[in-house]
Amino acid sequence: METYNKPPQRRSRFLSSEASVAYICLIPAFFGLIFLTYLPLAGVLGISMTNWTGLKNPEFVGFSNYIKLFTTDPYIKDSIIATIYFAFLSVAGSMIYSLFIAMLLNRKIPARGFFRAVFYVPFVLPAVAIYVGWSWLYEANFGFFNYLLSKVGLNKILFIADSSYVVPSLSLIAVWLSGNLIVIFLAGLQNVPSIYHEAAEMDGASGWNRFWHITLPSMTPIIFYNLLLSLIANLQVVTPALALTNGGPGNSSRFMTYLMYDQAFVNYKLGYACATTFIIFAILAVFTVVLFKTSNRWIFSEGGDDK
Amino acid sequence: MKAMKKGMMLSVVMILILAMIVGCGSNNNKNTNASPSEGKASTAPETTTEPEKTSKTEKVKITYSMWGSAEEGSKTQEAADKFNATQDRIEVEVQAIPWENYMTKLNTQATAGQLPDTGILKEDGVIQWSSDGMLNDVSSMYEGSDSKPLDSLAYKYQGKTVAYAAANEILLLYYNKDMFDKANVPYPPSVLEKAWTWDEFVAAAKKLTNDKNGKHPGEDGFDSQGIVQYGASVENLAWQLETWALSNGGGFYNNDGTEVRIGEDASTEAIQKVADLYLKDHVAPLSVGQTDDGIQRTIIAGTVAMATNGQWNVGTSLNAAKEAGLKYGVAVLPYMKEKVTLNTGGANVVFSQTKHPQEAMEWLKWYTAEENNWGLISSGIWMPILEKWYTDETLTHKWVDNPNFPPYDEYKSAVVDYAQSSAARPASWFFTNNTTDFNTLLGSSLGDVWTGKTTAKDAIAKNLEALKAANKGDK
Repeated sequence: METYNKPPQRRSRFLSSEASVAYICLIPAFFGLIFLTYLPLAGVLGISMTNWTGLKNPEFVGFSNYIKLFTTDPYIKDSIIATIYFAFLSVAGSMIYSLFIAMLLNRKIPARGFFRAVFYVPFVLPAVAIYVGWSWLYEANFGFFNYLLSKVGLNKILFIADSSYVVPSLSLIAVWLSGNLIVIFLAGLQNVPSIYHEAAEMDGASGWNRFWHITLPSMTPIIFYNLLLSLIANLQVVTPALALTNGGPGNSSRFMTYLMYDQAFVNYKLGYACATTFIIFAILAVFTVVLFKTSNRWIFSEGGDDK
Repeated sequence: MKAMKKGMMLSVVMILILAMIVGCGSNNNKNTNASPSEGKASTAPETTTEPEKTSKTEKVKITYSMWGSAEEGSKTQEAADKFNATQDRIEVEVQAIPWENYMTKLNTQATAGQLPDTGILKEDGVIQWSSDGMLNDVSSMYEGSDSKPLDSLAYKYQGKTVAYAAANEILLLYYNKDMFDKANVPYPPSVLEKAWTWDEFVAAAKKLTNDKNGKHPGEDGFDSQGIVQYGASVENLAWQLETWALSNGGGFYNNDGTEVRIGEDASTEAIQKVADLYLKDHVAPLSVGQTDDGIQRTIIAGTVAMATNGQWNVGTSLNAAKEAGLKYGVAVLPYMKEKVTLNTGGANVVFSQTKHPQEAMEWLKWYTAEENNWGLISSGIWMPILEKWYTDETLTHKWVDNPNFPPYDEYKSAVVDYAQSSAARPASWFFTNNTTDFNTLLGSSLGDVWTGKTTAKDAIAKNLEALKAANKGDK
């Protein structure tokens, strides 16, 4: 948080005049948050303490849903592992891929606008079409990738039918889908002051050195933003499990959001599903807090040390 | 500024009060009929609920809910209108809910006490709804009728009939006639007495499996990585696997669904045999139960010579493929020790919240008479539920003798006779609670069995306690 070295009197007057306008403008957003986020969240916490199934009246059961989740639930451990594994692969993969593509697209190449569109297209395609398409590529018996493998005389890979390949296979789709990150990176790259590059070039710095010492540091705020966006999105992954794998084989792609969906809307254990939701919320919160807490160590700020 | 704040506080309070009023309003208006005019409930608290004025001249209003699009809903409403015109006591209104949200919507309505009077319910929800006291006993529905539904189509909870299936479905063996002709292999039998044993089935499947050099499994130089046509595919969705467990002398549950038998050797061995079709016999494509489109993936895709699945495929997908030139046939399932097929069908229930159970049953009985569902039956999607269609051959002809079906004799023996034989057993959700949980867990436990990373015996042993807990509903 920023602090101001201003005389206290002036500060309070400053607050009263401008802050009140701000508060008034915030009212709609404030209501939105209260009624659409915080009250439902409190509701979820409340329901998670009941055995509500939607049919009978809920009974208060204290923490027993949470106790069951951590002791006898056959899915949740695999589910947490699968989700974190997927998020790790997808975030790392899409960050590296997007930055790399963005740097290529930032060069003066022919038909640059066309290529920028090409890499963004996957992001705007309808999800179901994407996953059906990939299911044909990944199909274990006659899929396109296996056809290619057999053409070059290699054994089949089972991709999404094999519990050890399914998460990497799904992550690959997530990486391919990360066109939105590319756009944000591109915008960031265009803000890297060219005078630094020119100066470094004159001093004879190699391309790699310029990337490492100029581009990357100036990009860190953008990288942080993309990292956060990508991490939260990937920890909440559910579409590939719904559209492609049904959580399988086994529990290998039973991502947490899918597990919650299954508990709530397939098995109608609403109280139990709310407890799972709270655990997902807690995990997301932990990751986000850790990311924020460590961010000031590596984010390069042009404003100098104002801490 | 203070005035502003006060104003804000005031508006907050106003909104809260308004919200409370609206909330109460919808509570006051609680009624059993989920009519389309439900939205009115949230207008004003002053409108006191009007008690239903049912004089003798006025018709009793019944709401029937079904899954399907608005278009399907209006078709069903047309049928209901016919019913409404035939008598002057009951007026049926159809409520169509998209399949994806169907059970969710009913759950919501149940919570609000606004369930329809009657409706269709997903197979695996019936016993649970029953155990929660949400369904009426319908045992008396067919008293004094000329024909009753097949015995295997009654949903039973604690000995009472709580629903009849809306349609019948059984599991069959479909096959591609061209592939059999080309390989010079006799067609699978459509007559139950001549049903193939599992070994005969696998032997035929081997002859129908070709690698890219035309070699079959077991021959020298056969390349299991280069198979271009598979001989057989046995659907391995959890609920369908019960067929094989039963056929091998095991089962998922005991006779009343209260004990889990899937840990028995006969059950795990049967599941392993299904997995071995891919792993050892090399006659089946790999399927890990991730999608429910078995017939499209196999028979219709033209990659597999024989595949097991439900009768509904005749109407939902094979019809169109037949027009496009596919020559397919139907046969009875092969067997391990006992001849078994499962029958199933979504349930028509009367909800216990209704005030008019008699009228609801009367409508259901009329509606499930096959004449009123003729579109679904004559297209091959549904099979009739009343016994007479199976036993009276003139009726069978009326049903099957049309171009939507495979040749009459073949279908008559492999489907019509099969469905009323001793081999046809109700799927476990006709009498067992918590089958959704159990099947989900079983499906997930078997994930690595299909790829051979573990065996059925080990996978089930590892999860047996959890499966038992799922059956009890403790999870």
